[in-house]
Amino acid sequence: MEELLEILEELKPGVDFKNNQHLIDDGVLESLEIISLASEINDEFDVELSVADIMPENFNSVDAIWALIQKLQAEE
Amino acid sequence: MSYNTLVFIAFLGITLLLYYIVPKKFRWIVLLTASCGYYILNSSALIAFVFITTLSIYLCGLWLGKINERFKKAKGSLSKEEKKIYKAKTTRNKKLVVLVAVLVNFGLLFFLKYFNFMSDSVGAAIGLFSPSFQPFHLSLALPLGISFYTLQAISYVVDVYRGKVKPDKNFGRMSLYLIFFPQIMEGPIGRYDQLAHQLYEGHSFDFERFKSGWQLILWGMFKKMVIADRAGIFADTVFNNYQKYTGVTVVLGVIIYTLQIYTDFSGSIDIVTGVAELFGVKLSENFKRPFFSLSLQEFWRRWHITLGAWLRDYIFYPISFSKFFMNFSKKTREKFNDYWARILPMAFSMFFVWFGNGIWHGSSIKYVVYGLYYYVFIMIGVMCEPLIRKTLGLLHINREAKGYKLFQMLRTTALVCLGMMIFRAADLNAAFNMFTSMFTNAGLSVITGGSILKDFGIYTSDFAILALGMIVLLVAGIIQEKGYPIRETLAKKNIVLRWSVYYAGIFMVLFFGTYGVGYKLADLIYAQF
Repeated sequence: MEELLEILEELKPGVDFKNNQHLIDDGVLESLEIISLASEINDEFDVELSVADIMPENFNSVDAIWALIQKLQAEE
Repeated sequence: MSYNTLVFIAFLGITLLLYYIVPKKFRWIVLLTASCGYYILNSSALIAFVFITTLSIYLCGLWLGKINERFKKAKGSLSKEEKKIYKAKTTRNKKLVVLVAVLVNFGLLFFLKYFNFMSDSVGAAIGLFSPSFQPFHLSLALPLGISFYTLQAISYVVDVYRGKVKPDKNFGRMSLYLIFFPQIMEGPIGRYDQLAHQLYEGHSFDFERFKSGWQLILWGMFKKMVIADRAGIFADTVFNNYQKYTGVTVVLGVIIYTLQIYTDFSGSIDIVTGVAELFGVKLSENFKRPFFSLSLQEFWRRWHITLGAWLRDYIFYPISFSKFFMNFSKKTREKFNDYWARILPMAFSMFFVWFGNGIWHGSSIKYVVYGLYYYVFIMIGVMCEPLIRKTLGLLHINREAKGYKLFQMLRTTALVCLGMMIFRAADLNAAFNMFTSMFTNAGLSVITGGSILKDFGIYTSDFAILALGMIVLLVAGIIQEKGYPIRETLAKKNIVLRWSVYYAGIFMVLFFGTYGVGYKLADLIYAQF
């Protein structure tokens, strides 16, 4: 989880990622940032995010992103 | 049958009456029958093309469902390694089904919309070697709303492929999703998971919702008939005879055309959304006061939102998550510094989005240039961001200051206006000549001499009404930007104030709408796409 927070804070400094539950709905993370984030996640956690995973509910909060990573790791 | 005609209002009235008379479980049949009737009235036998599209995505959806079911049944009895192999095979088969749907539907769209354009382009290339060569043309009629319903169709199949929605076994519901009459002509481009169930459910009559729907229709009529169609008189005069005018008049013509297309398209969408609300259906938002945007990227998140979202979900993401792109992105990170590692992949994937945006609008090279115009300026903005940040720091300019935000808004609006000039001009040559005339033949004397209105050949009263309409639009926009929902706030006011506003709106449309003697009813701009 800490590594994920580091990636997010590096991607968009100054955002309260720990508490924001609407990262997509509020436009905090936009399409270009999601692509960068996905690429970082793939490298860091050795998973393969696919386009089917790109749904607002998977990226609206740090917990949701973390849950997605864990799901993908379990499927590997 | 445009949305702002009496025939449409009569058609709507009969459909509403039937919808609320029949039992709830049959109400979707009223909507489907009315939608087919509306389509046939507008596009007669071309409804066959909608049928082909519906049938193709219906069957592809069921086919994808079967493949998924087979995988689910089999995976319990497979080892981890076997499951991986079987999953890869299943994905390949599913991709094949999506490919069939894409080929059938984009094939139809490309053939009907772009055949003559492609033939001309090939003809021009052959003409370089053989000047007597004549390109082959077909007389093709475009089915109503094909550019809109084709995108809805593809989104359904891809969403089933991605597992976001389940395949629909009801052919009637699938047909209604594609042909729902309020939105067939100009969108918004709906998504199956948000729209299909709403259309299929029978909704009870709700007076508050009904009233709110009519308010939105009235607002849309005001935008379309009082502002857009009146602005169209000015804009047409300038764009059709730009050689006659000086640069200042051309600039004003371009600004007024931008106002026209915004109020025409967003006004029509307000009418469409209001009509859908009368049936209890909530459509996706398509405009969010785009001229308050601080950048071109933001503008496109607030203008024709459903097209931008479609391009993002079905062009940008698939390209960005493709193996090729992921490798490309990885290589750029290894070989270049952070700046280029970010810019290069973005430049690659965004090109397809903006090319797609341009070509979707029409079969002409100017639309391609229109799309790529935004691509170039957005990329310049992204590339110059570090330099801008540094410069603003050196000059001690606060990005959050109101003055700077106003500058950003005006800059974005100016760039959008220039884009609209390309969009509306007869061809690229005309757009280029109009642009150069702004600098080479400014002719400021038409303002100082007061002859600008005479130049347009229009009445001062029309100009005054247009100015009043713009003020109303601006005030409403500012109120909404500040977070006050106008319809909800108005509903809470006392009866005198409430009805004064309603009557003012009705009288504005009745007295200042551009119809009757001296005016001709203007078509909806986006209906041609």
